[in-house]
Amino acid sequence: MKRIVIFFTIFFFFFNVNAQKYMTKNGYIGFYSHTPVEDIKADNNQVASVLDISTGELVFQVLIKSFHFEKALLEEHFNENYMESEKFPKSTFKGKIINLSLVDFTKNGKYDVDVEGDLNIHNVTKKVNVKGSIEIISGGINAFSKFNIVPEDYNINIPGIVRDNIAKNLEVTVTMKYSPVESK
Amino acid sequence: MKKHIMIALFVVFFMALAGILAALYLFNLQHKDLLKVKPDFVFTATDLQKAFDEDEAAATAKFVNKIIEVTGIIESVKTGEGNILSVTLKTGSVFSSVICTFPPGTDSSVFVVGKQVVIRGECSGLLMDILLNNCVVV
Repeated sequence: MKRIVIFFTIFFFFFNVNAQKYMTKNGYIGFYSHTPVEDIKADNNQVASVLDISTGELVFQVLIKSFHFEKALLEEHFNENYMESEKFPKSTFKGKIINLSLVDFTKNGKYDVDVEGDLNIHNVTKKVNVKGSIEIISGGINAFSKFNIVPEDYNINIPGIVRDNIAKNLEVTVTMKYSPVESK
Repeated sequence: MKKHIMIALFVVFFMALAGILAALYLFNLQHKDLLKVKPDFVFTATDLQKAFDEDEAAATAKFVNKIIEVTGIIESVKTGEGNILSVTLKTGSVFSSVICTFPPGTDSSVFVVGKQVVIRGECSGLLMDILLNNCVVV
């Protein structure tokens, strides 16, 4: 019941304003760890995100379980030991593009932007400020960003025995292709 | 006396070797090929969404990490970063569908909007939709 109320609210919110909201449900977020011992890469292709071009508001939601590692055992450790995804199944970002006026949404082109907001990973929320780029194309908006995360900042404990296998800084890549949320 | 020590050493060596091989096997294990594994659950997309809608916590405990074979009508087919295919199946809800994500290199021509399809995937959980990963067409 609560879910229906929440969805109806979001649904109604979406359809009240014309063509200001853009959305994707198969956005990409990946992270990469490079150490002399090994390189680890994880990909999530089920990122849900909404961008409101009138306010610059930007929201991301990911399921931790949707991160795919090449090695099944590493994926298991990631979920069970590091991220505790059974306890904390999602990671979210709620923020906005702070220099929105730099972007002309009516003209095709690429713009560098600054994004600021609250990033929640493993039940720890931190204020982050990252650089990204917005690309306006016919019928959609693409967004791209690359930034670093320190796992320990989010209480992610990597045991000493494997600490050297994982980089102190993880490189996060975000690639999104938004489509307008159409009024039906 | 010396012979006993030799045998003991040999046994220890052999066990260590077995242990290392087992560890290497586990370490290099790739993800399951879902065509070769029996699904844990068989549902229509509509019924699966209904289960999550009625009791999200119970459905999450029941379905996450399990292999689900889902039948449904294709609502949309999207190609994302790295040529990753996402197929959305219609459910009884306009807000919440079942999204099946396939490994790179999957042939998209089998997916036609409006057509019924049977897909097997590992359930990752519920975001706005029910998300299945590592999918194959059955």
